[in-house]
Order: sequence, then C-alpha cells, then structure tokens
Amino acid sequence: MAILEIKNVSKFFGGLAANSDVSFDVHEGTIMGLIGPNGAGKTTLFNCITGYYPPSKGEVIFNGRKLNGLDPDKVCMLGMVRTWQKVRPLAKLSVVDNVMVGALARTGSLKVAREMAMEQIKVVRMEHRTNFLAGGLPIGERKKLEVARALATQPKILLLDEVMGGLNPAESEEIIQLILDIKQRGLTQMVIEHDMKAIMRISDRIVVLTSGEKLTEGSPQEVVSNPDVISAYLGEPHA
Amino acid sequence: MNKSILKSAFGILLLVGLLLIPRYVESPYALHMMILLFLSVAQGQSWNILGGYAGQHSVGHAAYFGVGAYTTMMLMHSKNIVPWVGVWAGVAAVIVVALIIGSICFRLRGPYFVLASIAVAEIMRLSAINLTTLTNGAEGILATELPAFKIGATVVTDFVTKVPFYYIGLFLVLLTIGVTYWVQHSKLGYFFQAIREDQDAAHSLGINIALYKNIALVISAVLTSLAGSFYGIYVGFVDPPTVLGLDVSVQIMLICIIGGMGTLWGPVLGSLILVPLSEALRSNMVTDLLVKIGLVNAESKIGIFLKENLSHAHVLLYGILVVLVILFMPDGLMGFVKKLALRRKREAV
Amino acid sequence: MAVFLQSLISGILIGGVYALIGIGLTLIFGVMRVINFAHGDILMVGMYLTYMIFTLLGIDPFVSVLITFPLMFLFGGFLQKVFINRVLDALAQNQILLTIGLGLIMSNTVMLIFTSDYKILSTSYSSATIKVGGGVSVSTPLLISFLITAAITAALYWFLLKTDTGQAIRATAQDRDAAQLMGINVKRMSIIAFGLGSALAGTAGALISPTYYIFPQVGSVFTLKAFVITVLGGMGSVVGATLGGVLIGITESMSAVYISSGWKDVVVFVLFLLVLLFKPSGLMGKSRT
Repeated sequence: MAILEIKNVSKFFGGLAANSDVSFDVHEGTIMGLIGPNGAGKTTLFNCITGYYPPSKGEVIFNGRKLNGLDPDKVCMLGMVRTWQKVRPLAKLSVVDNVMVGALARTGSLKVAREMAMEQIKVVRMEHRTNFLAGGLPIGERKKLEVARALATQPKILLLDEVMGGLNPAESEEIIQLILDIKQRGLTQMVIEHDMKAIMRISDRIVVLTSGEKLTEGSPQEVVSNPDVISAYLGEPHA
Repeated sequence: MNKSILKSAFGILLLVGLLLIPRYVESPYALHMMILLFLSVAQGQSWNILGGYAGQHSVGHAAYFGVGAYTTMMLMHSKNIVPWVGVWAGVAAVIVVALIIGSICFRLRGPYFVLASIAVAEIMRLSAINLTTLTNGAEGILATELPAFKIGATVVTDFVTKVPFYYIGLFLVLLTIGVTYWVQHSKLGYFFQAIREDQDAAHSLGINIALYKNIALVISAVLTSLAGSFYGIYVGFVDPPTVLGLDVSVQIMLICIIGGMGTLWGPVLGSLILVPLSEALRSNMVTDLLVKIGLVNAESKIGIFLKENLSHAHVLLYGILVVLVILFMPDGLMGFVKKLALRRKREAV
Repeated sequence: MAVFLQSLISGILIGGVYALIGIGLTLIFGVMRVINFAHGDILMVGMYLTYMIFTLLGIDPFVSVLITFPLMFLFGGFLQKVFINRVLDALAQNQILLTIGLGLIMSNTVMLIFTSDYKILSTSYSSATIKVGGGVSVSTPLLISFLITAAITAALYWFLLKTDTGQAIRATAQDRDAAQLMGINVKRMSIIAFGLGSALAGTAGALISPTYYIFPQVGSVFTLKAFVITVLGGMGSVVGATLGGVLIGITESMSAVYISSGWKDVVVFVLFLLVLLFKPSGLMGKSRT
C-alpha cells in the first residue's frame, strides 16, 4: 500500500522550476532512494513534502491525507519527519535533551520523553554520548543524532537527506546498518544519497531526478542499467 | 545526591536569611537597596524566559514594564482602585499588548523582531506622552498615598515603612525564579530552547513555532508587568521616560547578558553586579573612594568634575560592560563560570 | 493647498537628510549583515563635532562638512576594525548588543564631557526662510542641507557604480563568500563600508545641527528612524533607503500638520509595523529567506 503519494508536484521559484511534474508512490515498509545530480531538486522535493514550501502545483498525499500547505510541525505530528543535509543540532543542548525534544512531540511528560529518548540513543549506539553537548560532537555523530531525534517523534515515515554526506567509509557503513535496522522495525524511509553503492544496497526502489524532473523510477537494477541514468550522471558534464 | 541536599539546605538557609533581614536591619537605605535588587532580579528573570530560553531578544520590554506600571497607577490615581486589584488590570492589558506584538513580530525572524519590539515600546512611550487625559502626559502620575491592605477588618500593612515592599519584592523574586524553574523543567523549556537553537529543526520536530513563541512572550510579559506595577507603587511615581524609555528595555536585557542568558541564576548574578555598581556611581561612592585612597584630590579640577558628573554616568558603565561581555564572555558570567568549571573537571579527569 | 505644499516641501527637504542616515545604515547592513544600533549616536558625535568646530574655530557647519566627513569616516573605520570585526560571525543578537553598548558609550562619554544640557548652534541664517510664492516658504538651512545631501548622494551613487572600490563593495554586499573567492579584500571593504556609513551619519548630524537641539541622547531617535527607513526601502538597498528617507520625511511633516506634532513619530512607527506585517522585504527589497 502506498503510504506516501507524490502527484504531479511542481515548485517554481520566480520563473525557475526547481521541481516539475514529479510523481511517484512510496510503499509502506520499503526504502525509496532518491538520486540525481547536484541541483536536480532533491532537497526542494523534501521541502515540498514536509511543508517547508507549499508545492506550486500538484499534491502530496500521506496516509490518504492531502498535506499541501500544512506546516512542518503538523506534518511531523501526522507521522512524517525529515533530517537535514546540513545537520541542525540544537547545539547548546545535550544529546539526550536533543532527542527528548523529538520525543516531546508525543508526550507531555519529561520522564516518559527521557525514556523514549534513551531508547533511540541506543538504536543509534550513542549511549556513551548521552550528556555531551550536541554542538561539540564530530560530524558522524551529529548525523546519527539527527536520526535519533527524528525517530523519537515516532514517525511512520522517515526522510533522510544525505545522512552519509561527509562521512568516512566506516561511518557510512554504520549508517547503512542503521537504515537497514530501522527498516527491520517496519518504518518506511525515503533516502537522498550521493553514494551510488550505498543507495543500491539499501533501496527497494529508486527515483532519479534531473533538472527538477523525474527521469525514471525502478528497482536498483533497473535504474543502474538505464542508459538515460548513466548519461545523466556521466554524459553531461554541466549537470 | 549529597550535593543536591547541600544545595537545598543552602537555598533554605538563604531564604530564611532573606525573610529575616527586615527584623534585624532597620536602615531604610539598606532595605531600599535590597528592594532595587529584587526588582532587578524579577525584571531579568522575566526577560530571560523570552530572550534567554526562547532566544527572542526583545529590546522593547519597557512596553510591558510601563503598561503594567501605568495601568496600576492610573487606576489608583483617578479611579481609586487599590493597587492589588489594579495589578491584575495591568496584567490583562499587557496580555493584550503582548498578543498583538506577538502576532506581528513573530512572523519575522532575527533583526526584524528586535526592531519591531523597539517600535512597539516607542509607540507606547509616545502614546503615554500624548494621551494626556489618561496618563497626565509627560508630567507623569504621582500617587504616593497607598491605602492600607486589609484582610477582613484586620490591617495587614499600611505601607508606612519599606518592610512590606521588601516582602512584595522578595515574593516577586521567588515567583519569577519559580516560574523559570518550572519552565526549565517542563516541555515548554525544551521547546523554547529548541526554537532558540534552530527554528527550522524545531519546526520539523513537531513544534508549533508561532504558538510557543507567543507562550514565551506572554509569560515573560505578564511577569514584567508585575514588576512594573510593583515599581510604580513602590516609587509612587511613573512618567514616560522612567518606565517606558528605551533605556529601561536595554537595562532589563543587560541584567541577563551580564549574568548569562538562558540560565536560572544568570539574572540573579547580573543583578548582584549591576545594582550595586550603578548605585555606587549614582551616590558618588566611587568618587569618594577615589578621594579617600588619595588617587584624586577632592578640591582639584578632576575631583570636582568627577563629583559633579560621575553620578550621571552609570549608563556609561552599562555600555562598557556590554561591550566587554560580548567581546570576551558572550555567554555571560554564568557561561564563563561554567566553562571554567568544565575545564577544571576535564583537567581533574 | 498652500499648507499641503508647504508640508510636502519641508517633508522632502528633511527627507533628504533622513535618506543620508538611512543610506549609511543600509550600506553597513548590506556589506556586513550587521545592524548598527549605534548609528544615531554616530550622528550625534557628528553634531557635537560640528558644534565644536563652529564654536572653537568659527567655521560654518555647512563648510565644516569637509572636515566632519573624513573625520567620521576614520571614526567608523576604527569602530569596525576594533569592535565590529570581532563579531561578524557571531549571533545576530550579539552584534546588536555590541552596537547598543557602543552607542551607550558614545552618548554617555559625550554627556560626561559636555553635560546633558541642550546646545544650540545658531548661525545668521538658522531661522531664515526663502519665499517660494503661493504662500509657501522654505527654511534656508534646510534648503542648503538638502542641496548638500543631494550632492553627497549623487557622489555616493557615482562612487558605488563607477569606481572599482564601489563595485567591490557592491559585490561584497551581494555575496560575501563569492566576493572573497574573487579576490576582493572583504575585510577592507567592511572597514570602508562602516567608515562610509559613519561618515554619512556624521554628515547628516552636521547638516541638521543648525536646526536641531544638540544633546547627548539625540541619537536614539535617529537610530530608530534609520531602521524604519532601511526596512521600508528593503534592507541593504541604497536606492530603497534614498526613497525611504524622503518618504519618511514626507510622512512626518504631513502627520505633524494633519494629525498633530506629538503623534508624528507614532505614525512613522505604525507605518513601520505595517510594512513589517505586509511586506517585510521592504518596498524595494527582494525577499531573503
């Protein structure tokens, strides 16, 4: 069943189309990969889906409910949460307090929120950092903190924007395992990623964007063997 | 565990000490100083909730201070409404003002909010000057005759000495610290700080930004209004510059900047520094001291100049303090102390 | 009709000076993204400088602009180099607080030196007027100051548009990082921008000194006006600030005549809030997110 339906979504800035007429479905419990060259409109699409920009045209339907124009906080309460390409830790709060902010979306009790937060900190294996200030963490741990904080809001779908960007191979491998773990728990995910190898391993399906438009969609094997995709990545030096 | 017992024991002792002071200290001047200190702590704590925790740096808190003070004084002066009733009218007025300001300003970010907060305070000040029939204009309102406070037929206090004001001031301090503590240890505190640290991130985590900013503003404004009403009643006089001027807003903010924004004890620390310092300048203690230790001759040109002018210059000191704090301790004294403690801890490990 | 024309003309004349103040602030904001809360106090320093030159050396305020402008430029450059430069990457609120602190230091130091008494710089033409006809007359000092303002503004436009340094400043304002990558000395541009901004504010102070009371706290009014002007015109837009200044001048003199002089500042601030509410990017500004 499709948990998230993107229907003919377009987003214009002035006269420029950052997304035009993008459509695809994300099915419950799967991982959807979103790839494309720089400037293809991946993050803009995330922003349109999660309520940071209203789409100029088209519809975003989540769990049968139309989201267009709904604010990010409402979107989060409905069960959709995203992480940021450029991480946004709450720098002067500790790791556990960061994750608690997420948990407090679901409970008014600090005690319950703390328990929920500790659970997610365990999931990302950062127990040893519980009381560290988020602003002082190395990049790899900030990325994991973003994921833990998002998970603490108890989402039905998680949108990850380049969680492996800027990480070394060992850290990336850890994140891959984390994403697969999260899938095991039945959570739907949508992942923007540059690392092709990683995205091939984790995705059930992949959507390819170029210049704001959907180029193709399919299983990792279908996508990787599509000549259009290859030329989009290798053939056009200006892309 | 031991530490927390020690902390609460110290707190209780301090409180008992503060409660007992008026029994043993009779000097009106000493009590006056304590009342000024209490007022400053209450102002700082109130601002801290919006500015320190929620990160919305209002430079217009004079609006709430002044509206609280004016409402109470106007009602007492022209309608004979007792101040402990008028205070609540002030609170109601301030809530209305705060919600109007909030709905305009919180759609904006960063510098725009600061500018709008100043503009609103200035509108209030100019209105107080121009609405002469209500506010008596630039002359201000003088109302020193306080009715006795009675419960039933028993007179609790007739406000002849400074003692009742001392206790009201102390109550305000406890109230504002209590509210701040409650905020800090509830969902609100987490949401406020999340908004302060990163508004977009907070938004994505399900926090209704506009709602929680407005909650922070209303809490902060109501407490500031109480402080304003207290000031009006204690001094017995309000006029536009002393309760609605830009200086007032800056001074309220300063208490937190110097002490440390977004910490429970920052405003207390800031007041402990600012109030005695400005009082020392105002009452010429500094000049007297300089003369006493022989640095300056009282009869010399410099001595006379200092005596005549230094008492007006306490604001200069504010300016120098702000610049020094921002350049060298941007997290205020509390942040500075915390950093030192952390460093020591690390060295010990 | 004569009343309307009269207030329109005086509005435009005083608006010219406001434009100068606003351009200074917007230039500083554009290049450094710092809102200068000491702007009015810098203007106040310019007023006192003019006053001193007048009383000590007997030089006419409109002539002494030639001295005030470079001195205030140096003063601004000094402020930038010693103070502002250290907080360029700090939080916006820290920048604001720093400039508030600097403003307090300026106004209170001046108060220590000159006391808080109002000073008046009276020239032979301070209260002279020129009849234009139709019952409309123009204050001579206001007219002269407007002409000087117009000349300075024209020179500034030429500087920003035609000289290499001017273009480098505009490039820095457009994108600081990119400008740095293109080999522009961003630090130097910042010093020049703050110096220019201060020189413009100081000059405005000099130009109004024959018609205004001079006292240490005079600055805060102008700081607030400068904000209104720049926000109205769109933060960072020099053309916007020019128009904004004239618009505020007209609004003020119109509301002084048709509402009351006590409420004219309220009208300006309400206008400001309305702009924030409905078009926060300003009349000339592009929206920034």
